Amino acid sequence: MTLDDLTKSSGEWLRGTGPESDIVMCSRIRLARNLADFPFTNRASRSEKTEIEANFRAALAHAHLELSYLDVHGLGSLDRQFLVERQIVSRELANSDGPRGVAISSQENVAIMVNEEDHLRVQYMLSGFRLPEVWESINHLDDQLEEQLAYAFSSELGYLTACPTNVGTGIRVGVMLHLPGLVQTKQIDKVFRALQKINLAVRGLYGEGSQASGDFYQISNQQTLGKSEPELIKILTDVVPQVLQYERNARQTLLTERRQHLHDQVSRAYGVLKTAQTISSEETMLLLSSVRMGINLGLIDDLSIATVNELFIQTQPAFLQKLRGSELGFEERNVERASYLRRRLSNGRQPPPH
Amino acid sequence: MRCQRCHKEASIHLTERVKGQRRELHLCPGCAQKAGLALPDSPPDLALDAVVQSLIVAHVGELVGELAERTCPDCGLKFMEFRAGGRLGCPRDYRVFAAGLLPLIQRFHGATRHVGKAARPADRAEERLRLRTQLREAIAREDYEEAARLRDQLRPEEIQA
Repeated sequence: MTLDDLTKSSGEWLRGTGPESDIVMCSRIRLARNLADFPFTNRASRSEKTEIEANFRAALAHAHLELSYLDVHGLGSLDRQFLVERQIVSRELANSDGPRGVAISSQENVAIMVNEEDHLRVQYMLSGFRLPEVWESINHLDDQLEEQLAYAFSSELGYLTACPTNVGTGIRVGVMLHLPGLVQTKQIDKVFRALQKINLAVRGLYGEGSQASGDFYQISNQQTLGKSEPELIKILTDVVPQVLQYERNARQTLLTERRQHLHDQVSRAYGVLKTAQTISSEETMLLLSSVRMGINLGLIDDLSIATVNELFIQTQPAFLQKLRGSELGFEERNVERASYLRRRLSNGRQPPPH
Repeated sequence: MRCQRCHKEASIHLTERVKGQRRELHLCPGCAQKAGLALPDSPPDLALDAVVQSLIVAHVGELVGELAERTCPDCGLKFMEFRAGGRLGCPRDYRVFAAGLLPLIQRFHGATRHVGKAARPADRAEERLRLRTQLREAIAREDYEEAARLRDQLRPEEIQA
């Protein structure tokens, strides 16, 4: 698989399938793992990082895992940004230095980053609210890797990680939620505060420090030690349905109390996306969010959720430039973005232009 | 640093360029709010690093003497460096700095004992970690003979793996 192949497909996690997919974009789990006989990435020499990468690639081959390895060190900045936009690698991996990479599966459910903050960051994603299934898959994948690699582990503290906030299970269990109803009814802060009280973290679409965009929010655990993986997953599977209920109530309130206003807002958003000649990324995210909610409330019936989900990712700067095959300035990107949106949204269900 | 408007402690620091002129602004939260420059207090964007940093400072801020100066013989990390950067250098650090780390871990996770999935014990991991340290040191002092010898010692298991 090459990077250019990726521009022609999209990840399974964007399909808009699975339980509760009107609100839950995807379920994701990642495990932090380190090789026992190397210093952590930030203290590893260049040649040690090369060895870590080689050991990992040998393990992939021995375990017969059907993953493609992308050498991130050898990629230009546009390609690295493209991988960040697709949620395949973190900003930290994209922007760091030295031998590093990512192994991905053809559907992009699996992404294993090598030489990030930890030697391995194993990630598994599925569309919809399916954390137990995700755990089953990633646990199996982790077992397969562990047969080949000696992990840093202590019986008292569990899996040893570069940052003590990940020690123990090394697990981050998260869901990405689309919450436009709670944003528009101004209840979102209240929900966040409640989540933080029970020690869950809330972040935007592109992770730590990023501003929430398109009304997408990731909710994940912070505690990694002292509870087993299934116990930590259960915290999310108990709490998320309550958030979903709040979001549904908020949408219902909007529908009953401000139906005309809401319908107008959704239709205008759809209209602008279909006809604009130049459009910024921020405005696109905002309007796509309205359209996505409109589809789920039955206010738009000629567009699929999968298409809208894809457009959140495929209107990001690096994707547009990859598609165009050249670097574009800010203004040029806005024109390219508008043109791409018109193509994808004309006649409702136009397939991707490939 | 003091707020430029009311001389309380400033916590908001801005640098802007107007027509090529660099302008610095230091304000307390109150004056920043009045000037419309305050950071929104919501949505609470939880930057984990900042949380960790504040925990580290809160819990090991008072450290003086032996622990502050302690150095990991394998990765060379000093506990003071961990305090500044928030990242450990190698798996062994968890034992070397246990006295400083366990209170922090207890505070962050509410526990100091792992429950859950277990990895199989790693064969000779500590020894191999130490050999790698010696290898780095040998290369640093350009002792290539020693480096080659250490590489040989490290090699066999990698082939088996």
